[in-house]
Amino acid sequence: MDEYLKQILKTKRIGFAVFNENLQLLGHNFRFTAYRMPADLTPQPSLWQLFSLLTGSEETIQAIITGRKSEYTIEKVNSLDPAGRITYHNLTFYSLPSHVNKSERLLCLIDDVTTQAALEQQIRQKNYEIQLVKAQLLSKDQFLASGLLGDSEPIRMVREFVHKVSNHNTTILLQGESGTGKSLVARLIHNAAATTDKSPFVEINCAAIPETLLESELFGYEKGAFTNALSSKQGLLEAADGGTLFLDEIGELPSSMQVKLLTFLETMRFRRLGGIEEKRVQLRLVAATNKNLKEAISQNEFRQDLFYRINVAALSLPPLRDLGPDVIILAEHFMRVLAIDLKKEMEGFSPAAKQKLGNYLWPGNVRELRNVIERAIIFATGDIIDASDLLIMDDFADLGNGLTKNIRLPEEGLSLEEVERDLLNQSLKQSHGNQSQAARLLGLSLDTFRYRIHKYGLTPENYR
Amino acid sequence: MTSAQNGVVYSKKICMLGTFGVGKSSLVKRFVHGIFDDTYLSTIGVQIYEKHLGPFPGACSNELNLVIWDLANIEKLTSATKTYFGGAAAAIVVFDLTRHQTFDEKRIYLQAFRDKNPRATYIFATNKSDLFATHEVPAPLTALAKSYAAPCVRTSAKTGENVARIFQMLGESLLT
Repeated sequence: MDEYLKQILKTKRIGFAVFNENLQLLGHNFRFTAYRMPADLTPQPSLWQLFSLLTGSEETIQAIITGRKSEYTIEKVNSLDPAGRITYHNLTFYSLPSHVNKSERLLCLIDDVTTQAALEQQIRQKNYEIQLVKAQLLSKDQFLASGLLGDSEPIRMVREFVHKVSNHNTTILLQGESGTGKSLVARLIHNAAATTDKSPFVEINCAAIPETLLESELFGYEKGAFTNALSSKQGLLEAADGGTLFLDEIGELPSSMQVKLLTFLETMRFRRLGGIEEKRVQLRLVAATNKNLKEAISQNEFRQDLFYRINVAALSLPPLRDLGPDVIILAEHFMRVLAIDLKKEMEGFSPAAKQKLGNYLWPGNVRELRNVIERAIIFATGDIIDASDLLIMDDFADLGNGLTKNIRLPEEGLSLEEVERDLLNQSLKQSHGNQSQAARLLGLSLDTFRYRIHKYGLTPENYR
Repeated sequence: MTSAQNGVVYSKKICMLGTFGVGKSSLVKRFVHGIFDDTYLSTIGVQIYEKHLGPFPGACSNELNLVIWDLANIEKLTSATKTYFGGAAAAIVVFDLTRHQTFDEKRIYLQAFRDKNPRATYIFATNKSDLFATHEVPAPLTALAKSYAAPCVRTSAKTGENVARIFQMLGESLLT
């Protein structure tokens, strides 16, 4: 019988040891030595010397010694074998009845479960990796975008504003130059106020949707409301119910829509196009613009009553050039995040690069900074970004043999929008509708280029 | 409990809690071994570390031997998980600043830990601060941290930011 038992213990790679009522080691098999017997221990070590992991389990062990508890198992305890590989053991402590042997009170079994645990680890590793990648993709838009970086006074004021307004369900107006992070602040307000992860954040760029579609996009429509309304569709107001509706570039909202939006904001009620039923929603409206709305009012481009309705809590976002050393903080943040995306190891910026970042005025604000850093990471040869890797607008001017420096504003002035549209048009012609090529010609990222051609209603297909 | 040069050496068990991939193991490895490896290797079962802290001048120069249980797969509350929680004096609850979901998920493990250890001390670590520079405590965590009387500390296992500090804070709290 003893021989069978020995054989079983050997085959199953089980170590065991027996302890007395004072928890001194009485005896053990060879395998236990391999698992748990450091060479420098006293000849009769105590259970506590052998198993520091039992800290906190004193009562449980006492219950086993006294027979009040029959066993206690700790599953899959990790340890390293002499070769540095992870091994897994189940540790079980059994109560030994005093009538069998007066001195032996506690049996410890160490069962090597490395094979099945390693298999489990591999499966779980794959599963977790997939979930982490999914979460990263989601977070990149949802949560990373909500961080507000920097320690400068203007940024502190923005943080304070976000903190204050997030406690009240009020309408918010964000003003500031293009690229100052209006969308980001809107999202931050939403995240700070959201009680659950499911609160929707719905963003719409008023300039990006044709006037004819804007109403149906916002209010939704019922089946048959117009020729192609083959089924009913929920609008963005309904989609934002319980959350935040972010209207970007509200200064571009057509006047007919301004009236409708005002009516909605007064009552929070609306009807879908072609609908009879009045719907009511609860949402926070955050509007943003880079236009001077007061000027737009004086030119009859924006309704004064709508302005007063949305201008309950207003914030003017500081341009990047006013943030001082925060430019470096932002640049370092973009470097870390974008380096992960671009799968490059980056350490930081050289002193000359930092100086260049700090001296430039950043007319395109944070958006421009991000694009500059992205390009620098792609083209940097080492893990330090140097001044020459940072291709900013001044450098683009140099690349064009100083062409842009020779442009002079005519005395009678000009429409910047017309010039922009014309340049976009030319770039598309020159590249035969190839957007990447056209974007490169203008020194823009593909996203910015797409955004701009959409803004002016230019279609690349028409140039092919 | 054993004698030290000027005070007493206490042994306390603490558990690292949090969903997968938040950086529990990385924080412990940074604290115990001073190393960081950004390769993600999921833990199975429990990995146990020890670290000696002190003497703590504010606690009669007593010292502390921390037995740190780095736990895995605690999202699913099994009998094995509950066994892991037993006898713990404190927990460091880890969240991932770059994964909003880690703030909002159901944390049945946290309630189970509290049921098992009603007098435990807590610290909330918002980890991966090197990837996310906001200094705000994420809104969903504020109320939760308050209900556990837990300070919220930004940490980065990668840069080491506040890693030693959270264990030191916990040590002081356990001895005073």
